[in-house]
Amino acid sequence: MIFRRAVRGALVAGAAVLLTGAADVPTVFDNDETALILSHGPWPEKTGPDPSNRVSGKPAAIAYGRTLFESTDLSIDRQRSCATCHQENLAFTDGIARGFGIARVDRNTPPLFNMRLNRWFGWDGKSDSLWAQSIAPILDTRELGMTPDTLKARIKATPPLADGYRQIFGAAPAAHDAETVMVNIAKAMAAFQETIVSGRSSFDEFRDALAAKDADAIAAYPAPAKRGLKLFIGKGRCDLCHFGANFTNGEFHDIGLPHFPEPGRVDKGRYGGIQLLRKSKFNLLGPYNDDALRATAGFTRHVRLTTKNWGEFRVPSLREVARTAPYMHDGSKATLKDVVDHYSEIPEDRLHQDGEKLLKPLNLTDREKADLVAFLRTL
Amino acid sequence: MRKILSGTVLGASLAIAGPALADHCPTDTLAALPAQLADGGTAIAYKTDPAKIEVGKPFSIEVVACVEGEKRMAPSRIRVDAGMPMHGHGMNYTPSERKIGPGHSAFEGLVFHMPGHWQITFDVYEGDKRQRLTQKISIKR
Repeated sequence: MIFRRAVRGALVAGAAVLLTGAADVPTVFDNDETALILSHGPWPEKTGPDPSNRVSGKPAAIAYGRTLFESTDLSIDRQRSCATCHQENLAFTDGIARGFGIARVDRNTPPLFNMRLNRWFGWDGKSDSLWAQSIAPILDTRELGMTPDTLKARIKATPPLADGYRQIFGAAPAAHDAETVMVNIAKAMAAFQETIVSGRSSFDEFRDALAAKDADAIAAYPAPAKRGLKLFIGKGRCDLCHFGANFTNGEFHDIGLPHFPEPGRVDKGRYGGIQLLRKSKFNLLGPYNDDALRATAGFTRHVRLTTKNWGEFRVPSLREVARTAPYMHDGSKATLKDVVDHYSEIPEDRLHQDGEKLLKPLNLTDREKADLVAFLRTL
Repeated sequence: MRKILSGTVLGASLAIAGPALADHCPTDTLAALPAQLADGGTAIAYKTDPAKIEVGKPFSIEVVACVEGEKRMAPSRIRVDAGMPMHGHGMNYTPSERKIGPGHSAFEGLVFHMPGHWQITFDVYEGDKRQRLTQKISIKR
């Protein structure tokens, strides 16, 4: 290998020799960097059932939830289902900038991996549980366009769905009021979505090799990804928000993107999300939380609404990120390269004046950008 | 002198409280809340639960505050908050207060949602007069 590199270097022009030489310098991680890398695992994280959802983790509910997730009977025109936008072969996204159900929505369709690890759901965090979030597209007139009454009628009139409901919830849908039926349907769908967990990545193999000091396995991780990782935890400071095994802090930040879905109409982001959360009867402080002690409601009870929440959107997990293009809350970045370009040349004057003094243009070189993308592709 | 603590608030690393605290706070409370701060005739003792604050995880702070003076052992109000001065933001959550006794409260629902340098602020009120005590703390990923 060394010999071949030397020959190749001798055969190309001087600048290229310098580039090749730099590329071949092994990336070494010091103790602090190693500790940071190890903090991104192990993967997968262990999770248990959701205490706010009494059918969470139950196999029958999971199977029923999958049926509901894929059923067009849950849309007013019977033309679409949850799986229309959350397509399994597209990492449970739709591959387009902004989702399209009955009509186009304002935001990008997020993937559904590792939902059990989320604290907030939706780009604005308007929901504090996966089951509450699952209600939103059912009722949204741009998505499935149902009402509690039409949903109950559909479940009653569709034998497989009515039978499944009775089996999971112990009574026919006719025995429950429409709102209860809707919440139960959402809880079954949440039980299914909780089972969508991203697999181990080549980064996880590298991370575990580093923990085990396995030199051969460490060497197997591509050099550009190692350099990108060093940037991710170093100069890029990406891991200030994208930390932990799920590569997110689960919270909200303004990263200098426009928040006007169309001229004259603003997407309030987290500010609107907190307002909706507080108004919702389906939040964890409300009557439908199956956790009688409300121990699950701590974040909801204490969440703070401030002007800085305008234009903030949820920090997404980076797991499987290579498969979830386009990116950002509005799908405005088509590729990972575009995302890295954004952080490299971030418009400081666009950031909220009350916002964080954290984001600065990274001014990355082309090589650094390529390395960062190479790293992201290993997650 | 204030020290920057790392995750865990250790009483032994804070030798700040002077006679004000010892003279005006119940000694049994002091023993239970070993981390101490004092300034301008106001003193507090506190502890966090859990003892080691982890990034992204909720924690609570129990505080007892005392004010110097003949009849002013307990202040009228205590307020606890935190922020990242270098980032220019506070917490995304507002702590709720559970009163334990005069000048003695527990604040729940605090979350440090990012790693880095945080500053906890303890505002101790005696009527309209506020004395602010601060503790810097470094949170790792």
